[in-house]
Amino acid sequence: MGLSDRQGVKQTMRLASLGMMFWILAGAAAVLADDSAPRKADHPAPPTFAKDVLPFLKAHCFHCHGTEDGKNKADLTLSKYADDLSVQQDRKVWDNVLHMLRTGEMPPMERKRPPAGELEAVIESIEGVMANLDCSKAPNVGRVTVRRLNRDEYNNTIRDLLGVDFQPAADFPQDDVGYGFDNIGDVLSTTPLLFERYLAAAESILEKVIVVPETAQPKDIRLQGLRVSRGMGEETNGGGVLYGEGEAGNEQFLDAGDYNIHVEVYAKQVGDEKVRAAIRLNRETVKEFEVTSSSRNQLQVLEAKVRVQSGTARVGAGFLNPFVAPDHTDETPHRRLLFVRSIVIDGPYNSPPPPASANQNKLLAHAEGLEPREAAREIITRFSTRAFRRPVKAEEVERILRVYDIAEKEGEKYEERLRLALCRVLVSPHFLFRVENDPPGAKPAETYKISELELASRLSYFLWSTMPDDQLFNLALNGELRKNLDTQVQRMLKDKKSSAFVENFGGQWLTLGRLALVAPDINYFPQFDDDLRAAMQKETELFLEDIVREDRSILHFLDADFTYVNARLARHYGIDGVYGAEFRKIKTPANRGGLLTQASILTLTSNPTRTSPVKRGKWILEQLLGTPPPPPPPDVPEIDEKKIPTGSLRQVMEQHRANPICASCHARMDPIGFAFENFDGIGAYREKDGGFSIDPSGELPDGKKFDGPSGLKTILKEKKELFARSLTEKILTYGLGRGLEFYDKCAVDRIIAALEKNNYRFSTLIVETVHSDPFQMRTATGEKP
Amino acid sequence: MMQRISRRTVLRGLGTVVALPALEAMLPRQIRAAEKVAAPRRMAFIYVPNGCHMDDWTPAKEGTDYELPAILQPLAPVKDDVMILTGLMCDKARPNGDGAGDHARASSAFLTGAQARKTAGANFRSGISADQIAAQKLGDQTRLASLELGIEKFRGTGNCDSGYSCVYEHTLAWRNPTTPLPTEVDPQIIFDRLFSENSNDPERLKRRRLRSSVLDAVLDDAHSLERTLGGADRQKLDQYLSSVRDIEDRIQRAEKLPPVELPQGTKRPNEPPADLTDHLHLMSDLMALAFQTDVTRIITFMFAREGSDRSYPMAGVKEGHHTITHHQNKPELLAKIRAINTYHIEQFAYLLGKLKSIPEGDGTLLDNCMIAYGSAIGDGNRHNHDDLPVLLAGRGGGTIKTGRHTRVERETPINNLWLAMLERMGAATKQLGDSTGVLQGLG
Repeated sequence: MGLSDRQGVKQTMRLASLGMMFWILAGAAAVLADDSAPRKADHPAPPTFAKDVLPFLKAHCFHCHGTEDGKNKADLTLSKYADDLSVQQDRKVWDNVLHMLRTGEMPPMERKRPPAGELEAVIESIEGVMANLDCSKAPNVGRVTVRRLNRDEYNNTIRDLLGVDFQPAADFPQDDVGYGFDNIGDVLSTTPLLFERYLAAAESILEKVIVVPETAQPKDIRLQGLRVSRGMGEETNGGGVLYGEGEAGNEQFLDAGDYNIHVEVYAKQVGDEKVRAAIRLNRETVKEFEVTSSSRNQLQVLEAKVRVQSGTARVGAGFLNPFVAPDHTDETPHRRLLFVRSIVIDGPYNSPPPPASANQNKLLAHAEGLEPREAAREIITRFSTRAFRRPVKAEEVERILRVYDIAEKEGEKYEERLRLALCRVLVSPHFLFRVENDPPGAKPAETYKISELELASRLSYFLWSTMPDDQLFNLALNGELRKNLDTQVQRMLKDKKSSAFVENFGGQWLTLGRLALVAPDINYFPQFDDDLRAAMQKETELFLEDIVREDRSILHFLDADFTYVNARLARHYGIDGVYGAEFRKIKTPANRGGLLTQASILTLTSNPTRTSPVKRGKWILEQLLGTPPPPPPPDVPEIDEKKIPTGSLRQVMEQHRANPICASCHARMDPIGFAFENFDGIGAYREKDGGFSIDPSGELPDGKKFDGPSGLKTILKEKKELFARSLTEKILTYGLGRGLEFYDKCAVDRIIAALEKNNYRFSTLIVETVHSDPFQMRTATGEKP
Repeated sequence: MMQRISRRTVLRGLGTVVALPALEAMLPRQIRAAEKVAAPRRMAFIYVPNGCHMDDWTPAKEGTDYELPAILQPLAPVKDDVMILTGLMCDKARPNGDGAGDHARASSAFLTGAQARKTAGANFRSGISADQIAAQKLGDQTRLASLELGIEKFRGTGNCDSGYSCVYEHTLAWRNPTTPLPTEVDPQIIFDRLFSENSNDPERLKRRRLRSSVLDAVLDDAHSLERTLGGADRQKLDQYLSSVRDIEDRIQRAEKLPPVELPQGTKRPNEPPADLTDHLHLMSDLMALAFQTDVTRIITFMFAREGSDRSYPMAGVKEGHHTITHHQNKPELLAKIRAINTYHIEQFAYLLGKLKSIPEGDGTLLDNCMIAYGSAIGDGNRHNHDDLPVLLAGRGGGTIKTGRHTRVERETPINNLWLAMLERMGAATKQLGDSTGVLQGLG
């Protein structure tokens, strides 16, 4: 139920552990069973504690649950409750009171029984009082503690701020989870280790995005292994000899710039002319030479200068005037030869600076003609406005520039100075925390509407897990966001960034993280592998996305006639005719539909070697209906070895029912879990469990019967208010970043009323949440600065 | 041969950490040079979850003449360096009125002796842990005040244990009652944290100065921001502030300390190994390396988070650890629990062997250590928090007489043991959590 109530719990815990379980059970059983009972009493005026409950308590309860000489007579003291509000604040205690009254456990048998009508009347009155939170008064909207960006939010915000997808938070410590979610302000903490990571991440990201344009340094490049044109000569040891009109050379990647080419040659002179050679670039002659050398001992260096673009170039030496003497034979060769010993290129000189990436240009854009420090000012102003998600004052920018100045004094280049300044922005609390400021002069407990910019942040982190985009930001700057709230929400849900909502909210709501950790035993489930695991996860994610994007009814979560599969998953489900690894939408077979029969959920609620109906039942109660069973008592009594029945899993677990201590909780969990026994520990369909036939029928504590998963789903869909309430509470928790308190019931009720009117459409849930008081407002502390 | 490894070299290296047994000449200068000054003492706390099968853990006899029971057999090579302590308890892990949640309470109370506040989100609270008491007093003598290691990274979604936040099960170390210190599980990241900031060339010094200027600047931001916030927001900013100051202190400290010299052949690790045994060994190697190079003297390490349901196929156990510890006295489950307990002791023996193989002064590194190993749950089915499995390895620089089995008085808080260790570290404190005095009889 998501409501905190430490005091009530502590009191209840002091009761005998057996009785305790029945008590806590009360709330859930009451709600599960209660669809038919009238919600409000038939009183002309709503019941009040003082008028309609207190007299009963005085007559029948205070004898034990009151005080004597100022001391409590029993662990639970009811005499301290004076009015409606005190009851509403201690919801858990009063849920238990209701249960004890309903089951007849209290007042105890030894005491005088209250007259029949009185018992019913007081039960109705207590329910009425608890439901009677006066939502017409000024709302109590709570106060979220300032929220640090969590890992996903940090990754996405960096992506949108700098234009690159780095996932720098991959090596951050995991965020702590509270109320089922990892974005709860109170729970997220900062430790030295985390801050170290922030610093390292900021430095490394900025190093990648802002590159100091360093001109390439000139160096000597010796071409390795010269190649000689075919038939025009031969390759010698690292060099070449030409006797025909060919070329000896090779290819080399060169950065743009000027290069000097040095070719070491010598020649065998034959005939009247001297040997003539040319230095060629990409087979075009750059310069021609006369080679005067006539032996190996007379190496001559030919030199030419070229300018190249960045790329692979062919550099070579060509023989211009081959000549074969008339008396030349192969045995006694007599012809002109050009020996090319080596080709060395040195450079580049005067190379142009490498072009900056588009990102860098965008980040460092500034008006023309500015001095570096003023350009920095412009850049930092723009960057920090986006990073801090609000306009920055001139003196803030000036303070940030101090770091730029220090870098300059240390001899850092312009780009390096900017890196440091932007790094400082990325580790500032204004970036890492989503700050919300009380208006100046606010009194303690005064509620106020948060600013448009603060609302823009809440909205974008809610639906996109990232910073507001330009459209949201500009609307908020101009004070127009609230006016356009609904259109913006619709836009955001349709935008592909809403997949973050599906992953983060959906994944945590459905505890999909556990799917990554399950280890089905390879002997029992040899067909399970990581491909299947990934396919299961994808199906559920695509299913959720579909409901969000197509704005379907939330009841589709419970039951739907479509899903998404690829070949692997289809085979697992026994569906024919699906080929290929991509996912596509299909109509579900008769025995599947909705989350409860998806392999992901069925697998993560199983044990490594078998199904666990208890886990499945508990999961459904906890995650879908918001009525978790209480934890098992600390001393679960040992089961008499001799009395363990043999047989099917169902029969073995009958023990849970036989023993009344266990039955109270297990009567709620087991039947639900057993409804899905036809799906094995990795969600595949089966007719039998080992040798035993499967009986998926069951009965809920309120008497409703079902004959299998479809029947159970029908019952669950009838409990749509319960499901809607649970989902709403979770979405509100996620959207606000705090656990819900008793006063949030007003907001939840309003959202549910709107859902009922709108066919339970998903977008209604989001729109109403965004419009709700807790989302739009905050409570001031009124502390003096 | 002494090697000063530049940051670039360190970061370019691949392969697992191979810290060879150091020659006398390779010891950090401050340890080697001053023969008159004793080597510093180190402390570590190793945690295993879900209790142990005490029937196969507790030796029959007390004193020095005892036989190692089945689970402790792997300690045979280091039997003389280990002390078995029977009878310690951890009262704050008990419900004390709070109902279910023994696992969360156990890991939270192990080093703090404080009762965890029962909450799934807001306002979690434990106490200061013993290792952090030492870190506060001694942390400025080393590059890293303390190191928190773990094996399991994922936090788990939903409620972790019966209404207790997941925070409690994932770490032993608490800086203060509201700041748990997250564990690091990636050996590569740990290695970089320990060793990448350790030379003093001008480029490195400039980088540090520039970093310091950034830190000064954001401290300013945080101070002025804090003034405009109220209530719980202030506490969050405080956490931020103390984290930044911590890094600043560390940078300044690093400048005054001599550079770290890694033993020859040390290589930077690859990504975390998939195999659990390899992972545990690698972490043990890093612990030994950290102590050997004196980058830190205080380490906590959870072999698994409390309540862990990991399976141990290498020990023949396919089922989840936590699941089978609700054994209801079934013999086949007890045998599996024993197998897991023994496996953990094998890994502990590896660590001790590693520390023992490194010469230091007249003996070994292990002689100057105090390594506590144990759990705050006795029997996993009963969830009792007395008769805890506890070992103490290492002679604490000559102040602990190991090689025996000692039974302490009933209901002696385990925090008394921590006080004894803190005293020997030079970080004595009068009281911590539910301690009732310094545990006597260790020396």
